[in-house]
Amino acid sequence: MAMGDLEARASARDLVKVYGSGPTAVRALDGVDVDFARGGLTAIMGPSGSGKSTLMHCMAGLDSPTSGTVVVDGVDISRMSQRRLTALRRTHIGFVFQSYNLVPTLTAAENITLPLDISRTRVDRAWYDEVTAAVGLRDRLHHRPSELSGGQQQRVACARALVSRPSIVFADEPTGNLDSRSAGEVLAFLRRSVDELGQTVVMVTHDPRAASYAHRVVFLADGRIVGELRDPTQQEILETLAGSAGGAAGDGPADVDVDVAERTA
Amino acid sequence: MIRVALRGVRAHPVRFVLSVLAVTLGVAFVVGTFAFRTMLSSTFDDIIATTVVADVYVRGAEEVSGDSTEAAAGDVQNLGGTRTPVSADLVETIEQVDGVDRAVPDVSGPAVLVDADGEAVVTTGPPSIAFGIDPQDPSLVLTDGAWPDAGEIVLESSAARTAGLAAGDETTLVLGDEPRPVTVSGVFAIEAAAAGAILVGLDDATAREVYAPDGEVAQIAVWASGPAAGDAGPPGAADEEDIADRVGADLPDGAEAVTGQQARDEASESIEQVLGFVQTFLLIFAAIALFVGAFIIANTFQMSVRERLRELALLRALGASPGQVFTSVLAQAFLVGLVGGGLGVLAGAGLVRVIRWGLALADLEFAGRAPLGGGQVALALVLGAAVSVLAAVLPARRAAAIPPVQAMRDDVAPERGTRTRAVGGIVVVAAGAGALWLASLLGSSVSESPTGWTWADDLSPRVLLGVGAGLVLVGVLVGSPAVARPVLTVLSLPLVVALRPLGRLAQGNVTRSPRRTASTAGALLIGMALVSVTGVIAASTQASVRSIIDTEVRADLVVDSATRTVPDGAVDAVRDAPGAGTVDAVRLGVAPAAVVDAGGTGTAGEPDAGSDGTDVAGVPAAFFDTALEPVALEGDPTSTLEAGDVVVHRRTARERGWEVGDTLRLGSADSSEADGGTVDATVGAIIDSQLVGTGVLVRDEVFDDVVPASQTSTRIVYVTVTPGTTVADLRVSLTDAVEPYLVVTVLDREETASAYADQVDQVLVILYALLALSIVIALLGIVNTLALSVIERTREIGLLRAVGLGRLQLAGIIAVESVLTAVYGTVLGVATGIGIGAALPGVLADEGLSTLAVPWEQVLAILGVAVVIGLVASVWPAIRASRLPVLEAVTVD
Repeated sequence: MAMGDLEARASARDLVKVYGSGPTAVRALDGVDVDFARGGLTAIMGPSGSGKSTLMHCMAGLDSPTSGTVVVDGVDISRMSQRRLTALRRTHIGFVFQSYNLVPTLTAAENITLPLDISRTRVDRAWYDEVTAAVGLRDRLHHRPSELSGGQQQRVACARALVSRPSIVFADEPTGNLDSRSAGEVLAFLRRSVDELGQTVVMVTHDPRAASYAHRVVFLADGRIVGELRDPTQQEILETLAGSAGGAAGDGPADVDVDVAERTA
Repeated sequence: MIRVALRGVRAHPVRFVLSVLAVTLGVAFVVGTFAFRTMLSSTFDDIIATTVVADVYVRGAEEVSGDSTEAAAGDVQNLGGTRTPVSADLVETIEQVDGVDRAVPDVSGPAVLVDADGEAVVTTGPPSIAFGIDPQDPSLVLTDGAWPDAGEIVLESSAARTAGLAAGDETTLVLGDEPRPVTVSGVFAIEAAAAGAILVGLDDATAREVYAPDGEVAQIAVWASGPAAGDAGPPGAADEEDIADRVGADLPDGAEAVTGQQARDEASESIEQVLGFVQTFLLIFAAIALFVGAFIIANTFQMSVRERLRELALLRALGASPGQVFTSVLAQAFLVGLVGGGLGVLAGAGLVRVIRWGLALADLEFAGRAPLGGGQVALALVLGAAVSVLAAVLPARRAAAIPPVQAMRDDVAPERGTRTRAVGGIVVVAAGAGALWLASLLGSSVSESPTGWTWADDLSPRVLLGVGAGLVLVGVLVGSPAVARPVLTVLSLPLVVALRPLGRLAQGNVTRSPRRTASTAGALLIGMALVSVTGVIAASTQASVRSIIDTEVRADLVVDSATRTVPDGAVDAVRDAPGAGTVDAVRLGVAPAAVVDAGGTGTAGEPDAGSDGTDVAGVPAAFFDTALEPVALEGDPTSTLEAGDVVVHRRTARERGWEVGDTLRLGSADSSEADGGTVDATVGAIIDSQLVGTGVLVRDEVFDDVVPASQTSTRIVYVTVTPGTTVADLRVSLTDAVEPYLVVTVLDREETASAYADQVDQVLVILYALLALSIVIALLGIVNTLALSVIERTREIGLLRAVGLGRLQLAGIIAVESVLTAVYGTVLGVATGIGIGAALPGVLADEGLSTLAVPWEQVLAILGVAVVIGLVASVWPAIRASRLPVLEAVTVD
């Protein structure tokens, strides 16, 4: 790929994922080749049903591909056992989810160190301080999630994803449930974590504004990669979406248009 | 709406499985109890129908049933209660009556059979009796050998099987006074199942010699002559009445003739009464099980409503009224109850089959009929549905209160506060504690007016105890959510530290919804509270018995019998044993007793009509110097006995209202001279004693005057050593002396205490077994809540798994949650149980419970059981949780 000069933290080759079988089978991924480079914030965009979430799940070891390979940090994870995948998620991968992403019974600080506690790893204090400082929540660390705003919760979730220094962080619609101001804070933090803390982040999103924070945007439609932008502006993204949607057959465009209209309104 | 409700159950059958199971178990217990009772009833009805077959019975006119059942040995032929005896000589008079074929005196009594291995056949419960055989009795069928002559016996077939004896075998039979070598001449059968009774047939002469030495028998069976007699079948009721009237006309005072039908009815009635108690006793435990089951159902619906918040709000938004939502939830509960009830009926019927099969293996045969009436099935179904619907009322009310706008909201309604529960709990517990305190005060006080308020003094301590215990339990249940968070936080501290981060996560989960955890633990709380009350009662009884025997028994050794009757021969043997000093035999009998002169006020007169039978014990005059040292509440027991006056047990004095100074007329004025006459004696002392549980004590001479010799039995013998002999030596000589009597044992004080303690333990085992069901249901409740909360927390579990939580770690969290819930319920339950138990000694002092003892070892064991229950309960939910696919769990809506 174009960023071959940078080491790929995660890559997929000829990735196929089929749900169901026989006449009702759905090819969610239809031969995807993609690399996510170290130190980059990549956004994956596409209409509903384009396979962007499936791609992320397969690359994060949450789902196993029907065929093809996924390599994370130099290790082929596509045929790994559940037990090894669990260990991999614990040490090499960070997650940020759309909603309900904190354990409600734990404080913010406990939520952040949860992956380390689970793997019984000592918390690297300096890194922890750096991460919590970056999310800007040092004074709210001992509050429960229910006492935090949506944006604050999502920033805690981001800090949790980073605290174990994962090879790569996957974020699934991280701003989907947030108002635009909170969304801006979260996205700014994700970008900073890449630029200043040297992390690697892959983010699935509907939202062109969110995607505009990324170094690179990958467009998916009908299970295939249909386009790519570098350091895009929101306008470029909208144009590309319109173009790729127009090019792709089926019911995609309407979805995208509505989504885009909503998000940008 | 109803369709929506039923679809809801159909869509998530797993969520209701355990609720159904809880109802099933409770209803099965109820149905099993009914069927068990029917089985016992039909067995005993068979026995009565096949043993009480004469046309007319002649018996004493006066009923003298005492307070305790110890007085008279059990006798199947005499189920209607103990009556004054009649003279066997009446046979000749009766046989003169027109229409009477023959009259056969019933001579029977306790006997101990020695089996093929030389061991005594001891029955616990069913009687072991010998009786004079009437070969013409149509109810007895000789199946092998011949009817007995002198020195021979016949055995009922199940007795022969139990003892391993057959026709021609030689063995020993302990009859009344002495062991006799006998030959088994044959085996006979009765039409009914013997239900564990040992029946030994004797030749008539031996039976009369043993059981009617003075010619007095319990009753005389009269057979009609003519076409109605013998194998032509029983005569019609009209004929029986006719003959009974004619026989009755010729009888002297003190004897009466009743028809066979009346005798059978009376026998059935008294059995039904006993079975009624058994049934009530079992139904109490069934009710506890159902009550515990209600917690599971309430929790299930609570969680189901919470989960379906948006769906229910949507229904409201679409125009459903709160009433319709309410009804739809109750409809689900009704369905759950009905299915559970139906399964429970089947399970209950199966349960009784298993019980009968088990009893048959133990050689206790019961009649095969245990049919369930349509009414009982209907009752079981109604019960299941009612419990389920009642349990779902509160969740249904919550569901009805959901505002339609909730359908649009994403957030879940916050947990309600627990302040009202705290206040309610404290108020109810305080009320209960007050009742317990009052019960204890009233029960232990000898004063007439312990509180000074008439209304309070008139309350029954036992009712207060029951009300107080119930209130305390309910109060703890009400207040439990308020204390759940702090108590659980403390309980979980060691685990939080030891199991990072699992302990912390589990702690969070159990404290996140105190109401849910509290009501899950509530089911276990009830069971454990009952277990610990039972444990405290048992431990206190044992401790009390020990201290009583230490202080009360003066004698060195006690001679007791497994049959509760020491044979006269054995008493003589004890008297003759070398080294035996004072030998004090306690003889029991029943005699009418009534006040003829209250408090020496000179209002002498005829005894009032309520001259009830009272247990009378006959003891030597110096009994209280040598054998026992009871607590003398009033008067001096020793001088009272010497004066020939009456010593009254506190319990009897209270029941009958007798006081020191009252003159009692003991004995029956109607009976013939051979029965003893009446004696007027003054109440000289009131004692409190645990070893003498009987009504009144008099010296032997008085006893002989008021109780017919044929109606007495020696219950126990106290022996003191002569100077110069050691207790150990006396023990050896006594043991040798009573050895031929097989059932008689010699005990020192320590063993006497242990013997009582063993009895307590046996009862304890039965109670624990009955309580086990509610503990099992409570365990199901924990499984239920955990499984449902796993479903509810699917997304959170997915998140934990996504960030790297292993399956075993997840299972660990659920196990810790489960154990914490179980231990919480148990800690609260045990504390409640011990609290209630603290009031018992005051109330149950009469029952031999004077010291409070908390069985701490048992408490620890119960906590251990709680941990095991928690672990067991977590297995299935933990497996379910760890099998949740991570992806689906993360992406679930």
